[in-house]
Amino acid sequence: MSKIKKMNTLAQTPAGKKVRVSKIESQPETCHRLLELGFCENATIRCVVNGSNQLICEVCNTKIGLHHSIANSIIVTPLEK
Amino acid sequence: MSFQLSHKEIDYIALIGNPNSGKTTIFNSLTGLRQKVGNYPGVTVEKKEGKISLSNGNEITVLDLPGTYSLSANSPDEKIATDVLLGKSHGIPIPGVIICVLDASNLERNLYLLSQIIDQHIPVIVALNMIDVAERRGIKINIEKLSSLLGVTIIPTVASKQIGISELISSLQKNISVSPFARTWNLPEKVSMEYKELTSLLIANDHRNEKAAYHEAQVLLSSLRNTDSFENQYSPETLSHLEKDYENLSSWGINRHSVFVESRYKWIRQILNECVTLSDNEEIHSLSDRMDAILTHRIWGLIIFFAIMSLMFQTIFSWATIPMNLIGAGFNWIGHQIGAILPPGDLHDLIVNGAIGGVGAVVTFLPQILFLFLFLGILEDSGYMARAAFVMDRVMRKVGLHGRSFIPLLSSFACAIPGIMATRTIENPKDRLVTMLVAPLMSCSARLPVYALMIGTFIPNITVFGIFGLPGLVLISMYILGLTAALFMAWVFKRTLLKSKSSAFVMEFPPYRVPSIKNTFIHMWERAKIFLQTAGTIILGASIILWFLATYPKVDSTNPSERLAHSFVGQAGKIIEPALKPLGFDWKIGIGIISSILQREVFVSTMGTIYNIENGSDKSLSLREQLQKEIDPKTGLPKFTALTALCIMVYYVLAMQCMSTIAVMKRETNGWTWPAFQFAYMTILAYVGTFVTYRIGLWIIS
Repeated sequence: MSKIKKMNTLAQTPAGKKVRVSKIESQPETCHRLLELGFCENATIRCVVNGSNQLICEVCNTKIGLHHSIANSIIVTPLEK
Repeated sequence: MSFQLSHKEIDYIALIGNPNSGKTTIFNSLTGLRQKVGNYPGVTVEKKEGKISLSNGNEITVLDLPGTYSLSANSPDEKIATDVLLGKSHGIPIPGVIICVLDASNLERNLYLLSQIIDQHIPVIVALNMIDVAERRGIKINIEKLSSLLGVTIIPTVASKQIGISELISSLQKNISVSPFARTWNLPEKVSMEYKELTSLLIANDHRNEKAAYHEAQVLLSSLRNTDSFENQYSPETLSHLEKDYENLSSWGINRHSVFVESRYKWIRQILNECVTLSDNEEIHSLSDRMDAILTHRIWGLIIFFAIMSLMFQTIFSWATIPMNLIGAGFNWIGHQIGAILPPGDLHDLIVNGAIGGVGAVVTFLPQILFLFLFLGILEDSGYMARAAFVMDRVMRKVGLHGRSFIPLLSSFACAIPGIMATRTIENPKDRLVTMLVAPLMSCSARLPVYALMIGTFIPNITVFGIFGLPGLVLISMYILGLTAALFMAWVFKRTLLKSKSSAFVMEFPPYRVPSIKNTFIHMWERAKIFLQTAGTIILGASIILWFLATYPKVDSTNPSERLAHSFVGQAGKIIEPALKPLGFDWKIGIGIISSILQREVFVSTMGTIYNIENGSDKSLSLREQLQKEIDPKTGLPKFTALTALCIMVYYVLAMQCMSTIAVMKRETNGWTWPAFQFAYMTILAYVGTFVTYRIGLWIIS
């Protein structure tokens, strides 16, 4: 892997892959909402469906539907599996 | 009523929990008080109270708080819960005990709320709900250990199967203490220092009590606003300290918006690591994942959604016909029996034509309303509703609204009142107002009798495109017209009066469930009761008054039509006739419209009463036959045509003919401005819409 790590967001995560949250970069309101829904640092997310501008993922055992504009603010790292 | 609990008098207990944690089902089981159990986040919007009977014979009041993820009050709904717990709600004291409902399959997030409650030093009992779902998903929870680490009593429950409810009730009679582990989560040291200072300042300078200060300091430090917006709410010392805190935290590289949440989650994760083991159950995942993929698909999702809607309206129309005919025949029979006993005269006419004719005309539509609620209940209970909101988000976004607004709109298909109340889950106040303004355009069940009468009488039952019945198609087009009008008006309002940027879609999806037959039938029964009560009170009253107005003053004439034309109703109708002429309506329809300003279904009972009086001699005809047979004396052609029927339906799709909705709007918007605006815009819309329909119809016919 190169030293400059490419930033991955949840929106770019293919369906079926598991990732870990590394950071959320968004408006404070949105961050807060996401944190409460369980998207906190190091939380594991499983991407269920990734559509054209929406996606469904599972975090803390709950499915959550998100618009890509929000999913783009969730920076993730892939989990080896 | 109060009772002894750990040697302390407590007034009442409160039930709190995340949306979808099964809180409402637990409330139902505890109190036996029956109401709606929803399956999408935030269905519990009203203040609901019930009584629990304890084994020692005492009773205790339990308050069902709206579902909330945290005490940070993001939506009006969540604010209610937060205010009650912090003692900021007027007239509602802090509950003596809280039952916190946790979803066992989603502990991490649910414990967040619990930890905030524990921090308030309120005695808590945990109902660890849906423990069966958790087990099926491979989640093993060491309940004893969890209980000792949290310092609270935990009762495992499966509320949908009544498991653990009696244990929950008996635990209320034991000693319930405050958790010794309150406020034991750790902030980064520097933050902790600042936080403590701010808390003491709030107590010293701003006269906050200790509990309120503890919570408020967190809210202030992580606040999204800047200090200017707090200017008049806090003392200058507190504000300058807060200003300094903001600077310090950012200079230390600490994100003040998330540090409190993160620290709390860290504490929660430590606890979970010790008492929860996970083993992935892939099988369950794969089925529900595949369903999600199809149901929310860009194309399939929309097709399935519209297919379900079409099926629903087709079935409402075809299945309900048999029970409807039975009810209609039943009322006719009652009319005949009573008519045979009573001597001819005013009393005979009042009871047979006025009361029985009017009420019967409306009650006939009960089966259709029940089918509508059956379908909506199944959609909600199965977990499909939230997916539909997700699919419709793409459409809603185009008009400037959030997919979340779709659920209140869909509920408004049943009734605009629960629809308007369900808007409380919308966080953006302007979006919420727009949703409330357009919700009554969705065709509610009160319009169904009007549609059904018009379609059943004037739309021929022919099959089009091989599979669809024309009546069903016309019915669904009325619903689509309402939906389109609602979306169009939302688009207009979002661009003019209520401009705001709406936030992107984030919403929790409940797991797929087999709908509970019991819950659905209880709900249908309740709806039937409400409907019959209205029929027995408002509609009966309106029918009698209308009979009087349509019978007096009497003139010397043997022709019933002439007598009707001279009655109060006839005269009033004639006065407004010029205004309705452009819509293709005569004065009788005018009377129907005016009398149904209180409630839409009164239109049908009015028509029933008026036509019974007019055709007094011939009782064997149903209202439908009477409408079909009426001949325009000037032209010699049938007075009512399919076009008239269509115009009446379009009018009812668009007009705000419902006093209860106006009252709810007044309550929800705290004033008369918005309800008045809503009434005005919808009436204008209805008039213009009907006029256009009539003109286009005439043009096509010629």
